[in-house]
Amino acid sequence: MSGETFMGVPREKIDWSPRIDYNKCNDCMECVKFCPHKVYEVREEGGQRLVVKNPENCVVFCRACGKACGVDAISFPNKSETTAHIKQVRKEMEANE
Amino acid sequence: MSKEYAILPCNGLDKCAGCAAGELAIRLSEETGSEIICPVFYRVADTRYNRIAKEKPLLVIDGCASRCASKLAAEKGLKIVKKVNISEEAKSAGIALKTDSLRLGETEKLLIGNLADRLKTEEDTAESGQETSFFPAQLTYDTYQKDKFMFRIPEEEAFFFNENDVWAYVSGGKARIGVTDYVQQSLSDIMFFTAPNVGAEISQFDEVGSLESGKAVFEIVSPVSGTVTRVNEDLLNEPERINQNPYEQGWIAEIELADFEEDKGLLYDFNGYFPIMKRKVDEFHV
Repeated sequence: MSGETFMGVPREKIDWSPRIDYNKCNDCMECVKFCPHKVYEVREEGGQRLVVKNPENCVVFCRACGKACGVDAISFPNKSETTAHIKQVRKEMEANE
Repeated sequence: MSKEYAILPCNGLDKCAGCAAGELAIRLSEETGSEIICPVFYRVADTRYNRIAKEKPLLVIDGCASRCASKLAAEKGLKIVKKVNISEEAKSAGIALKTDSLRLGETEKLLIGNLADRLKTEEDTAESGQETSFFPAQLTYDTYQKDKFMFRIPEEEAFFFNENDVWAYVSGGKARIGVTDYVQQSLSDIMFFTAPNVGAEISQFDEVGSLESGKAVFEIVSPVSGTVTRVNEDLLNEPERINQNPYEQGWIAEIELADFEEDKGLLYDFNGYFPIMKRKVDEFHV
């Protein structure tokens, strides 16, 4: 997958992926159908049916699956904080070069 | 004079937003010469409704983000002239729709009344503004071809890209932005463009409007920060311009830049973006 980096920063250092509010989720699975990056997984047995299986596959700053959600059960981290964090990590990386 | 529409409402009877969509449709049909397309019967027999949708500008009323009415319009190949989403309107008006009952309360009725008044008087689109000369008359492209799909990227140095497939053409403190060919090819036929508000202050990576096709909604992630000074109003009537060429007639908006030197650190030039787009095409484009 795109994996690896976003704007030169290792993807695993960026916390950006959907958060599901299970109190709202109605199991329609529109988000799963929508996302081509295999971020979600549907489990047939035990516990929650819908899980965020591959958070690092999620495209940083993409919030599109949230728009496909009829019951508004999907949220994302704060965008400005994420941007600031990316800039910070880049600075640190440059300093270490 | 009141506007007359062909109205295709959501009719989600098990949700308050759906009931409100239906109510708004009824209200508009009573107060204007608008005609309602029943989404349920439309699935069974479409001749009569196809005729109505041709004769009058089509207003789609979605109840929630499932966008069933929009999807139905896409399925039937209808051209959407205007649309509203009850849940979004409620949110922006600071109204919480009922969750414990399907009967509309006073709050819901007030929201519907306001929406009806707005829709009755709204113009389809404003007049297009004058073309400015800050954007080049002609662009040169490099292309990547996969099967029958062609992905162009402009080579001009003033173009910058974010990893969310949105470009910015930067010149003299101002930027014009739009989506790349990757976006329009992935969405296929774009049916609706939601414009950002002129005057809105946008941070880098904020949403600056959205695009909708039968397949999906695409949130336009701004590559730059600044103030929206102009939107491409031609897209409101002809969003297909984005499919024709997302760099020229399909541009999205213009932004007065706040701090491009800062934004630039998180953008690619042509040489940086081209391999990223190629990889995306190879991995995801079917």
